[in-house]
Amino acid sequence: MKSTNELKANIKKYILEASLSDVKDVEDDALIFENGLLDSMGLLFLIEFLGESFQVEVSDEELNPKNFESINNIVSFVSNKLSVKV
Amino acid sequence: MKEARRPFSKEIIHIENIDQVCNKIIAKLKIDVTKNLQRRGAIVGISGGIDSSVCLALSAKAFGSKNVLGIMLPEKDSSDDSRQLAEKLAATYGVSTLVEDITKALDGFGCYERRDEAILRVIPDFDKKVDKAKIEIKQNIAENIPAIFSITVIKPNGDVVSKLLPAREYLQIVASTNFKQRSRMSMLYYHAERMHYAVIGTPNKHEVEQGFFVKHGDGGADVMPIGHFYKTQVYQIAKHLGVPQEIIDRTPTTDTYTAEQSQEDFFYQMPFASMDLIWYGWENNYPADEVGKVMGKTTKEIENIYKSFERKRKTTEYLRMRPIF
Repeated sequence: MKSTNELKANIKKYILEASLSDVKDVEDDALIFENGLLDSMGLLFLIEFLGESFQVEVSDEELNPKNFESINNIVSFVSNKLSVKV
Repeated sequence: MKEARRPFSKEIIHIENIDQVCNKIIAKLKIDVTKNLQRRGAIVGISGGIDSSVCLALSAKAFGSKNVLGIMLPEKDSSDDSRQLAEKLAATYGVSTLVEDITKALDGFGCYERRDEAILRVIPDFDKKVDKAKIEIKQNIAENIPAIFSITVIKPNGDVVSKLLPAREYLQIVASTNFKQRSRMSMLYYHAERMHYAVIGTPNKHEVEQGFFVKHGDGGADVMPIGHFYKTQVYQIAKHLGVPQEIIDRTPTTDTYTAEQSQEDFFYQMPFASMDLIWYGWENNYPADEVGKVMGKTTKEIENIYKSFERKRKTTEYLRMRPIF
């Protein structure tokens, strides 16, 4: 299983590559939707990325700011899902 | 001297001088079509919904009944009462109608097949012959996260299966159902061109600004007379122009998916009356706390709804853009 740091690095790399803005870096606790890094399609593609890369499936109920508003929140959401799986 | 800004209230978008406003829209519509577009009448696609009904009523008053043609464009997923309401509307204004069933055109495009194929990938036991399906947003608009669609399948026994739509399937379902609006647009232009008429677009202010229309579909028209009116104002205009009460009382639907679906479930995530007022507040820079007090919501909720409006306008900018040279 990937370490939290590896997980964070992968997710951050994906978000920076997928972002519609020209930012080179993003703080781990920055609000990625509020800052315009990702829009609704960006969120949809992020969910696809999480499924393909970590086999994490997201339900309607899990789609909330607590799980998705920043890189830290996404990492913690994915870590929890993976630990439950294991 | 600059007029002092009115305090925010639930009456702030109510049209006081409705007769004058309607006459102004009608006069402008007449000039736009006859002078600017140089066409001699109007084609209106009518669905029995409030927006197209108001556009037909305005057109009948602007050009005279004999210079307006109302076209019903049903397909196999359309609701049965749409036609009956559209006929009643046309009779009210003495306008001639035509029915153009677009099911065969949609079959030719593979609209239904492509849509069902995507639904089946998400819900493998979807039975296209008997199950009803729709897509909807389930999130709370007051939560600060972009809206994502889910697919909901309703079985004949009432069982409901709902799943978040993956990107690929969401895009395929939307792209295939958009054949409906684009086929309607093609048919409206066929009749407009053969009669030297203009196509009257029916989107209201929310549809235009929040991007709740199909580019080159219902967004493809020559003039949009209610494009800058809030939904509650469209109802006010409808009442003033004498649109049949059954149409005014009908819940606005998308009439696009097999399962019944209101526009609120599908896209807007809140009742029209609230959305109109909060949108007005956002657009006119009313502070969230002032709007919240009137609407019975917290400042934080209004702030999040403002952010959601901002996101919707930004992400749908592409729909309103003309081709780039």
